[in-house]
Amino acid sequence: MVNVKIYSTETCIWCAKAREFLTSHKVKFTELDVGSDRKAAMEMIHKSGQMGVPVIDINGKIIVGYNEGALKKALKIR
Amino acid sequence: MSKKKSTGKNYDFLVLGAGGTGLAAAMYAARLGLRTLVLGHSHGTELPIGGIITTTHIVENYPGFTKISGPELAREIEKHALSYDLVSVKGGKALQIKKKKGIFIVKTEKTDYKTKTILFATGTRWRKLPDSVKNSSKFENMGLSYCALCDAPLYKGKTVAIIGGSDSAAKDALLLTEYAKKVYMIYRGSEIHPEPINLQRIEKNKKIEVINNTNLTKINGDEFVKGISLDRKYKSSNELNLDGVFVAIGHEPLSQISAQLGVKLNGKKEIKINHMTSETNIHGVYAAGDVTDKPFKQLITGVADGCTAAYYAYEYITKEKVMVT
Repeated sequence: MVNVKIYSTETCIWCAKAREFLTSHKVKFTELDVGSDRKAAMEMIHKSGQMGVPVIDINGKIIVGYNEGALKKALKIR
Repeated sequence: MSKKKSTGKNYDFLVLGAGGTGLAAAMYAARLGLRTLVLGHSHGTELPIGGIITTTHIVENYPGFTKISGPELAREIEKHALSYDLVSVKGGKALQIKKKKGIFIVKTEKTDYKTKTILFATGTRWRKLPDSVKNSSKFENMGLSYCALCDAPLYKGKTVAIIGGSDSAAKDALLLTEYAKKVYMIYRGSEIHPEPINLQRIEKNKKIEVINNTNLTKINGDEFVKGISLDRKYKSSNELNLDGVFVAIGHEPLSQISAQLGVKLNGKKEIKINHMTSETNIHGVYAAGDVTDKPFKQLITGVADGCTAAYYAYEYITKEKVMVT
């Protein structure tokens, strides 16, 4: 079971792109708005060591920014 | 010109760059019956299809839309272009371009495309802080951001600065006030120069404080940004305590790949074009939008120049009777 979390903000274009990618590949995910959820923001900073969005956590593997190649690799999508 | 649906590897008009300019040019080219391919992500910005307008929060200067978000406007322009069967948009990155027997060959990682004409609509990317600003690399994404639209919501109730004096910087400052409690706008020149409508908004906004004639020299912090150093005193100190720094200090044209065809650039590395036809110094090669040497750079002007390029590409193909074999 793949556990996917996106840490995003409401205005971020790259977050929308990541969301679009996961949806198009039928990957279920949880989205956390770090703009309104302070706890999620701290969790994102702690996990990724930085403050840029999006951050995508795939079973503990942290991907910073929208990187299609890294997402495909982590999700084993060909 | 072929009336076939836009598939395969041979085209009449190949557009490098899937921003608003490139997509609008493709739409117009299709109306002229040109089989058109738009290669997005060919310009090195990694911006999604739609280009740099997708990083603008609110667009109020594009006809037909009193107020629309940049990403939404980009989606509308893309949808419009793709409503024509003759237009195809692909995500390939152009690695090499050459001219052989009057035909241009654009090589991507997977495919070689042949085209009768080319439009460079490769745009620009945000200029980064120079190395002379100490710690600018160290704090990138650690409180230093180049995308206010992406990261502004993280600064709710915080104090931030925007570096720059342009209209883009002003719009970022206004966006930041929706979240931050205080926004400093720091500009090296004597007066910030946004569009008058945004200047009025800046002047009326009590959260914004403009600091002119001042340069950023250093970003301070431990793990994350805690403040900045300035080259002159502001309110008796060279230091400003901050939670975040945003940067909007202009753009760099993404014109490098055009050099492979011998396209002429100006001193700013912008592509020199005929301002009437959008043609470069190479016959059959056009440029439009932010990458060109035209001084007024807006989506509305880029779109106009892109459509002009499509028209003159059509004229060129018709008069020269260019054939792709």
